Order: sequence, then structure tokens, then C-alpha cells
Amino acid sequence: MKYDAIVIGAGANGLVTAHYLARAGKRVCVVEQRDVPDTSADIGWIPDVVIRDLGLSGAGLRIAEPDPWITAPLPAGGTLELSRDIRRSTEAIRRISPRDAEQWPEFCGRMHTLAGVLQRLYLAPAPDIEATDARELSRIAGLGLYVRRLGKQTVIDLARILPMSIAELLDDWFENDTLKGLLGALGIWHLKQGPRAGGTAFNFLHHHVGSRLGVFRPARSNMTQALSTISGVEMRRGAHATVLAKNGRATGVMLDQDGETIAAPLVISSAPPRATLEPVALELDPEFARAVRNIKARAVVARGSLSVGSPPPYSTLCIAPSLDYLEHAYDDAKYGHDSAAPYVEVQRTDGRVELHVQYVPPGQHEKLAATVAQVLQVQPSQVQLQPAEESLYHGELTLDQILFMRPVPGWSRYRMPIEGLYLCGSGTHPGGGLPGAAGRNAARAIL
Amino acid sequence: MSLRTTPFHSRTAPLSEGQAWRRWAGYVVASSYELSHDREYHAIRNSAALFDVSPLYKYLITGRDARRLLDHVVTRNVAKAKVGQVLYTPWCDTDGKQIDDGTISVLDEQTFRMTSADPTLRWLHLNASGLDVQIADVSDTTAAVSLQGPSAREILQLAAERDLGALKYFRLTSAKIRGIPVTISRTGYTGDLGFEVWVDSGRAVALWDALIETGTPYGITPAGMLALDVARIEAGLLLIEVDYFSSRHALIESQKSSPLELGLAWTVATDKERYNGQAALDAERSRGPEWQFTGLTVDWDSLEQLYADVGLPPRLPTQAWRASVPIYDRGGRKQIGYATSGGWSPLLKQYMALAHLGSEHKPGTDVRMELTVEHRRKQAKAVLTPLPFFNPERKRA
Amino acid sequence: MKQYDTIIIGGGHNGLVTAAYLARAGKSVLVLERRPRVGGAAVTEEIFPGFKFSMFSYVVSLLRPEIIRDLDLPRHGLHILPLESTVTPMENGNYLAAWADHDESRRELYRHSPRDAEAYDEYGHLMHFMARAVKPILSMVPPDPTSFAPGDLAGLLKLGRHFRGLGGERLHALVKLMTMSSADFLDEWFETDVLKATKSASGIIGTFLGPRSPGTAYVLLHHYMGELDGVFRAWGFAKGGTGAVSEAIASAARSFGAEIRCNAGVSKVMVKNGRALGVALENGDELRASTVVSSLDPRRTFLQLLERGDLPDDLIGDIHRFKFRGSSGKVNLALSGLPKFACMPDGGPGGRLHRGAVSISPSLDYVERAYDDAKYGEFSRRPYMDIVFPSMIDPGMAPPGKHVMSIFVQYAPYTQNGGWTDARREEFGDAVVNTVEQFAPGFKSLILHRQVITPLDIERITGLSEGNIFAGELALHQLFFLRPAPGWAKFTTPVRGFYQAGSGTHPGGGIMGASGRLAAMTILKNGT
Repeated sequence: MKYDAIVIGAGANGLVTAHYLARAGKRVCVVEQRDVPDTSADIGWIPDVVIRDLGLSGAGLRIAEPDPWITAPLPAGGTLELSRDIRRSTEAIRRISPRDAEQWPEFCGRMHTLAGVLQRLYLAPAPDIEATDARELSRIAGLGLYVRRLGKQTVIDLARILPMSIAELLDDWFENDTLKGLLGALGIWHLKQGPRAGGTAFNFLHHHVGSRLGVFRPARSNMTQALSTISGVEMRRGAHATVLAKNGRATGVMLDQDGETIAAPLVISSAPPRATLEPVALELDPEFARAVRNIKARAVVARGSLSVGSPPPYSTLCIAPSLDYLEHAYDDAKYGHDSAAPYVEVQRTDGRVELHVQYVPPGQHEKLAATVAQVLQVQPSQVQLQPAEESLYHGELTLDQILFMRPVPGWSRYRMPIEGLYLCGSGTHPGGGLPGAAGRNAARAIL
Repeated sequence: MSLRTTPFHSRTAPLSEGQAWRRWAGYVVASSYELSHDREYHAIRNSAALFDVSPLYKYLITGRDARRLLDHVVTRNVAKAKVGQVLYTPWCDTDGKQIDDGTISVLDEQTFRMTSADPTLRWLHLNASGLDVQIADVSDTTAAVSLQGPSAREILQLAAERDLGALKYFRLTSAKIRGIPVTISRTGYTGDLGFEVWVDSGRAVALWDALIETGTPYGITPAGMLALDVARIEAGLLLIEVDYFSSRHALIESQKSSPLELGLAWTVATDKERYNGQAALDAERSRGPEWQFTGLTVDWDSLEQLYADVGLPPRLPTQAWRASVPIYDRGGRKQIGYATSGGWSPLLKQYMALAHLGSEHKPGTDVRMELTVEHRRKQAKAVLTPLPFFNPERKRA
Repeated sequence: MKQYDTIIIGGGHNGLVTAAYLARAGKSVLVLERRPRVGGAAVTEEIFPGFKFSMFSYVVSLLRPEIIRDLDLPRHGLHILPLESTVTPMENGNYLAAWADHDESRRELYRHSPRDAEAYDEYGHLMHFMARAVKPILSMVPPDPTSFAPGDLAGLLKLGRHFRGLGGERLHALVKLMTMSSADFLDEWFETDVLKATKSASGIIGTFLGPRSPGTAYVLLHHYMGELDGVFRAWGFAKGGTGAVSEAIASAARSFGAEIRCNAGVSKVMVKNGRALGVALENGDELRASTVVSSLDPRRTFLQLLERGDLPDDLIGDIHRFKFRGSSGKVNLALSGLPKFACMPDGGPGGRLHRGAVSISPSLDYVERAYDDAKYGEFSRRPYMDIVFPSMIDPGMAPPGKHVMSIFVQYAPYTQNGGWTDARREEFGDAVVNTVEQFAPGFKSLILHRQVITPLDIERITGLSEGNIFAGELALHQLFFLRPAPGWAKFTTPVRGFYQAGSGTHPGGGIMGASGRLAAMTILKNGT
């Protein structure tokens, strides 16, 4: 069997790339390490154009946008529940802080505008600031003009807020700890940074992209499962693929179990950039290889599930009672320990109850389940966790690792310095938490 | 703290008559032992000169992929190199610009010694990712002397108590000198018959004593860097930071050079696996390098005349110089390059210089070299001379 | 009543630089200083009889060479002496030293890591380029990206061209420097923890950030910036202390005809119809001038010297948001002799340890933990310290045989749980002295006198809001066209004829004088 392209990894991005290529008439083989499709929820906004192009709605795609979108316990008892409806949220906030309630509508509006700018940047390859050709330059100029048309405030907000810490941003707007805690948690999602770290405001906006006005948690979906049901590409499951290259050209992949090789002139990897490129390091410029090794992809999140008798009374429960709580949780991780009091979020999707626990750096985790159980006031036996060894985003979304700096500076166009080798995973622009966005951009770059 | 001394210092220090020392890679070595370096120079071409070259950076590269790593780093074909062979080779960045030059000794199938003028440990490590290879910096633990000159073989044979006639140019062998295990390579930086002897630092002094004792009847002469500098110009050998800049230290593009521009085309293999700079060098080779590195011989009459014009006898540089000197075309108006080293060859009785010129200029072309005569800029006539200036048969014989 | 062309509020080094440049251009200039002496935070005071201290700011690194030349400061007594080295004692009794000589430093670093010794040169090479890339920005008036004015558009274009001209590799490195934490940036280069700790410590000075906080990498450049200007070594010590720098600039200003009045605090800028008319002094006097310049920090410039009604609401909001958060303190000691550091009891060859800086930054975690204390409103129990012995460089600073020791301490947050009290100040001083004692046993017995300065003291004495030594944090979102506020980063203010010239404006920070010079240029260009 001859293939035009091999895609490594059957996650959302890998499959999106594979299907775009297949639709363009390429014979595509997808190699996936897992034996069965991943059933855990895909988190993040799926570009509408991907849903349309690949006919995902017809493939059983379900997107959960729970309302209320968050529930957070209040220190004095009771909970704070925030909804899509700005007025309802404002009223809920008014009970804990009339001042914050006044701010809520404008805050939601300003953040939505800024996330809209990012959304526009995310649907295309990152602007190439070194470009000299007229088309790219006019595209950059177009972006600049677009932003300036949004008004002076947006320009100032962008320049000022993106490098800011989420703590500074929230302190500017709000006073209530519960509110700042649940919003601040989005600023540190998948980052080895605390809420006082510069760039966390950007991370907050990144995860707001595609969300509705006034909703600060990404949507959840069964995208990977839906993609797995579409035909048009060949699947090889249960095999770990390593890129093969010779004299600066990708030649195919090697499968782990038996050393079998599959030849193809195009190899596209949705695996982490470092794991993809390390086996072919000798084909790379040593400085490029060094840049790949320097990608920061430090694990901080353990995902898992919670066994419960009956469905919990909330869709998303957030345990991040204050910015200081998050900061303390980060302090532990800085020195290589699991947070003694971690940020825990419980997400109920499609009958499953999933967990996001942060900060969980690589290492020993004997006490982690017990700690999480204590935070959630459940039995340790109800908590199942899979701590990650590497950032689930294949590269932290810090300001030095986004746009034209992602996955490595100057190589944001999915193409790698080995001919025929491309990346399409969340390690590339626009990054994690946007299933299919990188996959689509990559496919377009290849085609 | 303070500068480091080499393992031979207890022997070299008492020899220094004028306390003329210079820095080399963080060490102090003798500029010359006698008050003038003349006799030390003549020993190179007449008997045998003994140099302390311990400050060279030395790395031991071992392991299954050692050969692969070196082949990937340098431009010579290391994959084909035989055990016992020594390769002189440059190495380049991805753009084919020269980082440094040095030697690679194939000690056995999986053991290589690399010497370099600049520290190279990090570059080797950068290139070694994913390879099964160990890289050890043995600069401090390995001492080296260079014995150069027509009598070098005779002295070394006596000291090592074995025939070295079979040891060919750029080959190495292990041996014992008075029971001291050493490696002898037929290499050097003088363009003459000569050897370098590599020894564990702890045995360095004993080696020195053995060589001096054996060599004294043959005129062995400890020599310093000033003498070496004249000899290496005669031999047309490059000196980093003088004749070219490492591409990793260059501040601007135009300070970088490729091996093809430095007269090292012969070291850029065309029959090897992918290595750093390959694509760029292949492309450069096919379009032809922009620059060449060549010798210049200053015309004696022209020089004499410039001095005669101000009523002086000709003045010659008493030492090899290291400077950037403009070279003009024969009309004297258009600058066509620059010389980077130069000096008087006491043997050839020639004023020589090493220069970077546009590659279109052919050997024998008349050019003009800038010269300061009694505080005024003048131009002396010079002619493009292929390198080396001096190339005795005994070097390879 | 005498009418001046320009009145400058505040006789700190920036105010004095502005005064000198304006006077040199022929303007009649009056500088008003609240304290009995000029200098602001750059003052030398004989705190204990015979012992002189650079009370606050203590090293000169980035004083613009063009200012030294333009104002002929050496003729007015300025002599900057090199600080030769930095020694970092480690907790295990070892040390890391950076000496003046490259070979020596290389050898020293090699002792810790052969690879780092090599990386250090390449790192220096890159930083050299980065410093060159940033340098033109320091001496440019920031264009306003929100404005469609031709001047701003041209400025933005020029900036765009400048950055693109750097080429990909360096542009990317610059983005990294601007956005990364110094710890992460240094991780890409080095493996030696104590080296990373010592380098990153320079990135946190004057900020409320830790070495692992994004935005601290940029300050790593400062060290290399000085070298570009042909300065012998980046860090220097002014003969006579930093007050001598202020005195030299003041003397230059006077020589050009400027008048400098001390003990003359300004209470208000007089404004009529959106135009500055002059100033009202604390003693009730009023002085008139066609141009008024404030070299005070932005908070006092906008919120104290002006009335709310003089300013648009969004600017007031921006200034309220402008972060000061002073985080450093100072301990000045008079010593009967030089302390012996356990890691180098003889003080190194020729006693050179004491002629350079001693950095108490034994590991990244040490510095990071010092920050952790501060984050939650406590001074660091074991702080980062930068120690110099000015009397070793300028013997005139102490009686013969005795010494002065200057300890810059971080972190000492302005906002302290329970607030700063006299008792708390002494506790802070004890923490500093006890920590030094751990690295230099017996040092405490040498102390003759001790002065402890908290950020609150800095604010009380110099007026710097929240005691921030840079007149506003040098954070990415407070730099360039955002310093001190978007739309007002070009030294002008909404009040016509009223300008800003302090470190709270672009480029700010350190005894640099660049803000004051750029402000003077702007004023001269604008006419009045």
C-alpha cells in the first residue's frame, strides 16, 4: 500500500489534518499509539469552519456549553454560579460584591473583544514578522489595521494586558476572592506559572477564544470520537511511530513493535515537537535542535475522573477560592512538589465526571488522590488520576512560545527543516485548548 | 587565580631569558626563550625545535557513535578515516561558515581525539543529541609537545627506541619514551618534518627531560610562539582570530569565511553523509567562492625604493605581524582585499603575507600592499604567490 | 517677581539633567528641591561621623555617556571607578566568581561546568547583539501606537524597520528576552545553578518579581548595555558616592546658568485654562514660569501636583493602576574592619573580593524563596543581597582602616503585613545581618553603626512613591509607550507647558539620566 502522507497521532489535530488531506485526494494513513479511541472530552473551541468542512455535525459531534458554566463554593457557605446571561451573573455577583457586579458587564465585553482579536489570529498561520513578500506584509498590515479599527482602547488593552499577570488584571477590575479565583484559574490553565506571573492574562484570553460573551470556561466536546467515525483515512492503532529521514528528507515512519517501516513522502506529526524531532536530530541544524530541546513543556496538570453515585448538581465545579490560593498551589510546584492544596476543577460531560488538577509536576504522587479527595470532600477511592509527564499542550502557552515563536522561533508555519516533515499538533500555532485549529492550519500549509 | 601554567612550566620557566610570555587559551607560554627568537626559528628549519603546545583544546570522543558525531561535525570524511590516521579539518555552521579548525586523531574504532583552537565541548554536545557518545575534555590532563625540524625524526627514534620511518605524514602511533606511554603523531604547525607527542600531564616533565637529553647532541632547541609564527606563515597555515574569525564569534556577516574561501577546499569532502554546512558548501562550490586565501610576496625593489625615497635603508618586520592591511589592485586605487598576517622569512629572504583577495585574482597577479614608511602611507608592489611559501620534501618523505 | 523660562520640580539626577540641558540651550532655569541637598535617591551622606554612604542608589551602571560628554561632567568632579568582580558565596562553602579578566572568569566557571564556561561566551555574544538592538530605543521618544498622527506613524514604521532589520534569530531572542523569566531564559544556556541565580538576581532588582517570573529576563541586558558605550566595565562606583554624580550634574547645570534652590518643596503646579503658569511652594510662595517640569514619579506628578480637574479621567485611572510596589531596602554599615567570607577567607588574590560586589544569591531556589516571603507581605527572612565595600574603591568614604559596607536588600515589600514599624525595621535589619553572618562568620562583631532603610523610609525621605527605586516598576506593561501611561509617554502632559522628566517616564530606571535628557530635548523641540 502506497501512501501520500502519514499522520502521527489520532487526536483531534492529527485527525483534522488527515481528513483535510484525504479530502484533497491524498491517500493518508494515521498511526496512533493507543489501541482504542480516546473517550475523554476535548476541551476548547472548535473553529466553525472545521465543523463545516469535515461535516462533524453529521458525525455525531456534541459540544457541551453548560449553563451555568461554573459553580464555586463561597467561604460563608452556598455557591457562586455564573451563567451565560450577563444579567443573571451580575445578580449572582451582586450578592457577594455590589462593586464587582457593576464591573462585570464591561469586563465581559472588553475580554470578548480581545479574545476576538486572538481568534482572528488563530484561524490562519502566525504572522511572519520576518516576511519580505508583499502578500504576507499586507496581511500583517491588515491585522494591524483591523486591531486599530476596534478602537484606541483595544490597542492599549492588547499592549498592556497581554504581558500582564492575570492577578494584576483581575485586581484592576474586581475585589471578591471567589470571583477572582475562578477567573484566575483560567489564566494559569496548563501553565507552570502562578496567577502573579506575566503572560497569564494572555493565557486567560487564549482560553476565552470562541467562548460566548460572559463565559470563561472553554466548551467541551466529543470531537476526537466524532472524527474517528469519519471514513476516508486508514488507521493503524496500537503502534508508536518514529519519523524516518535521510539526507534532509522525510522518508516515512518506523513502527515500534516490529520495526516495520511505512514509506511516504509526507509525514505529519501531531505528537509533541520534541518527541517528533529528537530521533532525526542529526538531520537538523544543531541550533534548531537546541531550540527544540528548549521548548518549555513542563507538566502541571493531572487529568482524571471522579466516580460518583449520582450525577453532581453542577456542570463545572471550581475549587480555586482566591488568587493567593492559586499562588500557594504554584509555590509548591516551583520546588517540584504537588500542590498541597491544588486547584481542582470537576467537569460533568456526557455522564462522565472528569477532573483537572493543577499543579502536578512530574514526580511521585502518592498523596495526590488523597489530597484531591480532601479538597472535594469525597473518598480517595473515588478519585482516579493520570499525572502527565509533559505539558498536555506540548509546549506551554507563554508569550515566548506563541505565534511566530511556536513551536520554535521562526518555524511556526508547520513545515520543519526536513523536507516533507510537518507538525500539526497543539505544540504548533495556535496551541492547545483549540482542538482542530492547528490541524486545519497545518493541512492548509501542506496543501 | 591568575593565568594557568602548562605541565612543562617547571622546565620552560627557567629557560626564559627575557620573561617574554604570552597568553594562549588561558595559559602562559613562552613568546621566546632567548632574547631574540632568531635561533629558535632557525632550529625549526635546521635542526629541531621543541614547542610546548599543551594549551590546545583537546577532547576525547568515545562510543559507538563517536565516528558518526565527528563525521557530522567536520567537513572531512571521518567515516572513511582509518585507525592511526590524523585528519586536519575545519568545521562549519549550517551556513557553511568556518567555526574553527583542528585535528582528529583516530585512536581506535571508537576513540577519537580532537584538537581545536577554541573551546568546542559545547558545540560537540549540541551536535551529539540522540547519539551514543561520550565527550571528555582532556585539555588539562593531556600535555603535548611539538618537535619540528629536519632532525626531529632522528631524535624521536632515539628517545622512543624504535624506527619511525614507517610513520607517514598525518599518521600516529603509540610508543614509549623512557617508559612513558605517549602517542606520537606526524603532525605540526610548521610545514616541516615534525611530530607531536601527546602525554599524560603527570608525566610531562619526564618526557621533556628525555627529549632534551636525547636531542641536545642534535641541536634540539626549545622554541616559543614568535618563531612558530614565522614558520606557520612560511607554511601558509591559518591562525584563527588572526587570519579568520570563527563564525560563532563574528559580529557581522562579512567577518565570516567558508573553508572554500580559506584555501581549504581540499578538506571539504564531497563523498560523505550529511554534515553541518553541507548544503551551503555544495552550493558555494558550484557557484565558486567569492574570496580566496593566498600568499603575497612583497617585491624587494619596490620596498627598497619606498625607503630610499625618504633616505632610509629598507626596514623589515622583526617579528611576524598580525594586523589588517589593505591590498589594492596594481593601479593602487581599488582595494581588492586585505592581508592578515605577514613577516620576513629569514630562510627565503622574502617579505611574505597571507591575504584574503577576491577569487578572480590569479597567481602571479601584481597587487599593491599598504605600508607605512616614516609615518606616511605608501604602497609596495607585491605578487600573488600560491601557498605554501616553503614546502620541503622532508615534510612528507 | 522673576519669571523663569523653566521651573523643574525635584533635584534628583533626572531633574538636574533636564535643567543642565535646558540651561545649556540658553533657558533660564530654576530647580526646586524639597530636601536640603540635591540628588534625590542619588545622594551621599555622612550618616555616622567619618563614614559616608551612598544612602540609596549605590552603583552607576548606565549613566548615559553622552550626558557625561555633553555636560562635561568629569570637569565637575565625576569620576566613575570600576567595580571589578562579583563573588557569590554558596551554601556549601564553595563560591562562584566573575573576575575582570576573561580567561580567569572562564577558568572559574569551568570549575563549575565546562559546558557553561563555553556557553557563557556565546551567551555574551548574543547579549551584545541584543543590547545593540535595544539601545536605540532607549534614546528615542516612544511613538504612540494608538495615534494616527504622522509623527507617530513614522515612529512606528521606523521601529518596525529597526526590529525587522535585526534578522530573525535576533528578533526572536529579543522577544524571548522581553517575555521570559530570567530563570527560564538562563535555563536555555546554563546548567550551573549558582550562575543562574546570580545572573537572574540582576533581573529582579527593583521589581516585585522573582527569578521565575516572566518579564525579568529583559533586565539581563542591562549588564551588556554599558559595555557598548565603551565603558570599561558595566558596573561602576562614583568617587565620593552616588551623591557625587548628582553634585557633578548640579555643578554643570549651574555653570550653564541654572539656579538650584534646596529646601523648596513644591505643593502644586498652578494651572489656568489647561496651561501651567508656575508653581506654588509649600511655604506659600508662588513662582512663575512658562514651562514647568516635574521629575517626580508619575503618581506625585499627576495626582499630587495637579488637581483632578486638570486631567482626563482615563489618565487618572491609568496612573492609579501604575504599579510602584517598592520591594527593596538598604542596610548601610560602618565597620571596624573587612569581613571574612568563609568561601574565600583571604579575600582572593590581592584581596580583590572586597573591591567588587558580593552577591548573596547562592541558588535560584534561594532567591525564589526570598520572593515567596514578599509575595505574601513579609520581608525575606533570607534575602537576596548585593554587597559592596565603597571604602575599598574610594578610601575617602571611611576613616583610615575602617570601612563602609553597603547592602542592597531584596525583598522588603512596601506593603508589609501589619505595616512597617520601628521594631519591624530592626527585625528586617537583623535578618539581613544574620544572613550575612552565615556566609561571613564573625562579621557581626565588626559592625560599629547600622542604618536600616525600608521602602517606607525611601518614600518618606526621597518622596519616591511606595519606595520604588525606579519611580515605578520596570515591568513590560509599564515600559516604552506605556510608561507612565498610554498616550502620555512622550514627556508631555494634558496640561500645556507642564512636562514630566523623571524615571517614571521612558526609559526610566537606574542612574541613567536618559529620561531627563529626552525630556529636555522634547521641551526644546516644542518651544515652550
